[in-house]
Amino acid sequence: MGAGKVSIRHVHKAYGAFKALDGISLDIQPGEFLTLLGPSGSGKTTLLNVIAGFERPDSGSLMVDEVEFITRPPHKRDLGMVFQNYALFPHMDVFDNVAYPLKLRGIDRASIRRRVTGALETVHMDKLAARRIGELSGGQRQRVALARAIVFEPKILLMDEPLSALDKNLREHMQMELKRLHNRLGMTTVYVTHDQQEALTMSDRIAVLDRGRVIQLDTPQNIYDHPNCKFVAGFMGETRFLPVERRESSYHLDDRSLRLASEPPHCDANGWLIVRPERLRWAGDAQRDNRIAGKVMDIVYRGDSHLVSVSLAGDHEISIRHTGSEGKELPVPGQDLELWLTPEASVVVGDAIQ
Amino acid sequence: MTVMVQEVKPAILNNSLLQRSRSLQGISFVGLSLPAAVLVAAVLIIPFSWLAWLSLFDAAGNLSAENYVRLLRPAYIESFLTTFKVAGLVTAICVLLGYPVAYLLSQLPQRAAQLLMVFVILPFWTSVLVRTYAWLVLLQRQGIINQWLLSSGLISEPLPLVHNMTGTVIGMVHVMLPFLILPLYAAMKAIDPVLLRAAANCGASPAQAFRQVFLPLSLSGLSAGIALTFVLCLGFYLTPALLGGGRVAMWSTQIADMVAKFANWGAASALSVVLLVVTGGILWGVNRFMRVPDAWGGKR
Amino acid sequence: MQNRHVTLSALLVGAAAVAMTSGSFAANETVTIAGFGGNLQKDLRATLWQPAADKAGLSIAEETHDGLAAVRVQVQSGSPTWDLVHLGSDDCAVGGKEGLFEPLDYKVISTDGFDKRGYGEHWIATNSYSVVLAWRTDVYKDKAPQSWKDLWDTEKFPGRRALSTYPQEMLEVALMADGVAKDELYPLDSKRAFRSLDKIKSKVAVWWSSGAQSSQLIKDGEVDMMAIWGSRVASVIADGAPVSYTYQDAILGYGCLAILKGAPHAKAAQALVAGVVSPEIQARIPEMMPYYGPTNSLAFKVGKFSPEVLARSNMSPENVKKQVFLDANWWRDNTNLVREDYSLLMAN
Repeated sequence: MGAGKVSIRHVHKAYGAFKALDGISLDIQPGEFLTLLGPSGSGKTTLLNVIAGFERPDSGSLMVDEVEFITRPPHKRDLGMVFQNYALFPHMDVFDNVAYPLKLRGIDRASIRRRVTGALETVHMDKLAARRIGELSGGQRQRVALARAIVFEPKILLMDEPLSALDKNLREHMQMELKRLHNRLGMTTVYVTHDQQEALTMSDRIAVLDRGRVIQLDTPQNIYDHPNCKFVAGFMGETRFLPVERRESSYHLDDRSLRLASEPPHCDANGWLIVRPERLRWAGDAQRDNRIAGKVMDIVYRGDSHLVSVSLAGDHEISIRHTGSEGKELPVPGQDLELWLTPEASVVVGDAIQ
Repeated sequence: MTVMVQEVKPAILNNSLLQRSRSLQGISFVGLSLPAAVLVAAVLIIPFSWLAWLSLFDAAGNLSAENYVRLLRPAYIESFLTTFKVAGLVTAICVLLGYPVAYLLSQLPQRAAQLLMVFVILPFWTSVLVRTYAWLVLLQRQGIINQWLLSSGLISEPLPLVHNMTGTVIGMVHVMLPFLILPLYAAMKAIDPVLLRAAANCGASPAQAFRQVFLPLSLSGLSAGIALTFVLCLGFYLTPALLGGGRVAMWSTQIADMVAKFANWGAASALSVVLLVVTGGILWGVNRFMRVPDAWGGKR
Repeated sequence: MQNRHVTLSALLVGAAAVAMTSGSFAANETVTIAGFGGNLQKDLRATLWQPAADKAGLSIAEETHDGLAAVRVQVQSGSPTWDLVHLGSDDCAVGGKEGLFEPLDYKVISTDGFDKRGYGEHWIATNSYSVVLAWRTDVYKDKAPQSWKDLWDTEKFPGRRALSTYPQEMLEVALMADGVAKDELYPLDSKRAFRSLDKIKSKVAVWWSSGAQSSQLIKDGEVDMMAIWGSRVASVIADGAPVSYTYQDAILGYGCLAILKGAPHAKAAQALVAGVVSPEIQARIPEMMPYYGPTNSLAFKVGKFSPEVLARSNMSPENVKKQVFLDANWWRDNTNLVREDYSLLMAN
């Protein structure tokens, strides 16, 4: 398609004293799957609504394929959107819901039938075309909403927490389907979620938002492995933080100098060592790796593994998985334990980006 | 094995226990609804049966269809048509005036909507008689409106605003408007505003979104409001009597005359029975043909 | 319980019948009178009922009713608790025909001074009213209308008219407007009356349905000329409105008393009625109930009245000559049919 580029510049939106969007600038590439990730109140939904045209920002610019969209009414934007609670029309059946955007575009009946059927096939709902919306399950509604959003082949697809109302299994299944669909259709997709796992699974890039600002914009891998501040790191995985002290050019944990593979970004003063269960090792090389010593507090059985909680000096707590393939016995509560982090897995972040 | 036996026994016991508790629940349900059933019988079924019974006897007390045959005379047919004409006209005007008000109320923030709602409901708190006389003061020849129009030079002769159909309809619309607005507002309030965003996102202009999404979804409330207003209009007495100048011969006026002026209970009962049956028929028809999902259109 | 009540009532009725045949009633018996209630009933009691009871040595108790239907229920119960009922004239006539009332004993009750239409076998008029022609003096100035003919004459007397929504008295008015002499009115030629009404109806701005409404219409200038109760127009004039009226060709109607069939104190009731219609007690009406007139013209012989009161009272010798008495019996027999035609006439 080659089109579907979105350029957001200096967008501000305030509700009274509350700054929902605080100078957001963001480029979304044609065909890209970009996720807006953040806690509630971070501005992610507001930003999506600005793109869709439901919110008019106080200032800023929104260019779509080099055309200024900022004052364009929503019905003239040609963007597909999947709403959080699907927003299907209860007075129309499945077919009519999906056909609605085509009817508004004055497309002839035969083409409508063909394209609606096609869109419904894409989401595996072609057999239920005559159903009323009230007769559908949550997952089925989700698919219809998706079909309605893609049926007119928009260059850009917006999704506002589309999977949040589904149960866990269905959600994971739909994540895969959405990703495949995106690969197939190739439309620029802006996806809003507060679920980091969803964001990591689906996105080409993730923009982490907090208090109306983009904190970090990067690939899922980099967001996860190299968060640029404590906020982003805390949003990803089961993260624990251990305070580290900066001494000249090195960082110290419990008076021991940390071996780091890369210089911490935006971290001029004391920082935090990120500790995630899967990054910790049961064994390590005292010459090369960083050692963390503590005492086993308790052990929780998780099916595929045991989660071992370890308390450290200074009232800190971390945890590590024990799957049985480590070559080490499962420890018992009260036992002293030594755990290891490779320099590559040792990441230090500052409190916030400047 | 012993474990099995121990588990089965209480299960059987529980079944009978549960069954008993279920039937007890049923009995208490009947018990709770008994006062309501008695009330309905006392205030609805018994008086109506008595009414229907009375209508079967002529003035001399003989069993006859005279009271119903009488209704085929021109005076009653005329009055019947007038009643429906007035009810239809008032309902139509209420829809035209009430729909935008209900729409505005449903779109306003809660606080503003509550404040405005007070104005909608205000007429409920004043007596119909007072309101009707107030209209007389406003509308009559030397009333406020005509005096103002005359003094401003817009008209040279007072407009005939009251003591006719115009005055009746104005007064009745005023009384009836809340009955249309309230169910309509409730239905509109239940429409998820996101649906209008979804329509816009699909490419619908605000007008299209209103016509194709909001309007169909508000139809259930509208039909409820129309049915309520129309049926109440059919039985309206006071306002047509005071503002109609004697020209608007509503069915209810005939009933009132029959009882109050001519003490002819049989004839009055026949009039009432006919009104009741027609009203019931309309409600049944509305229920039958305007069922909510069908009102929402779509494919059948 | 119910049965015992009935038996007891039957005994009482029997006792009353015995008392009647014996031709006397006990002193200090209590007679129950039912009226329409309100201020009217209060005035009727003070002016007529109480003095008549005192004269006969009786006590009275009061009830209220909402028309002939309630009287029917009383009589049909077999044991009425009311003795006397005060009604409108045609209701009395209808009730008499239906057999709801005892015949009045005209050996006890004197009809001297009564118009022959003022009493019947079962009832007698106790208080009278007039339906008069009233007009706005600021509209017609010195060229005032004089008769019902003028009410129909829209060329000489342009302006808006009002008539009543009830046909009673209006048919009489229409016939006199059409040239029927007042002593040749009855039996009413209803066809001619409706033809006459057809001529005026386009000029009838309002068909009024209550006394309060009628006085408001002429007071506010909503209409310029109308048929209205004399008592109502008198109060409008007293309020200072530029309105005048004439008794010429006015229709005299009345309220009446009748004794319920099977009334427990029928004999005492006869005596009470005799007192109410006596000239002495009727003479109290012009002063105490100026919105009504007496029905017994002898009242003006026994009473002494100022010229103002005489000019105002509808039954003063001077005024009564100009008017015509309503024939309750005609209305009793024709109300229903006339009513339907009249309602059609108003609607079109």
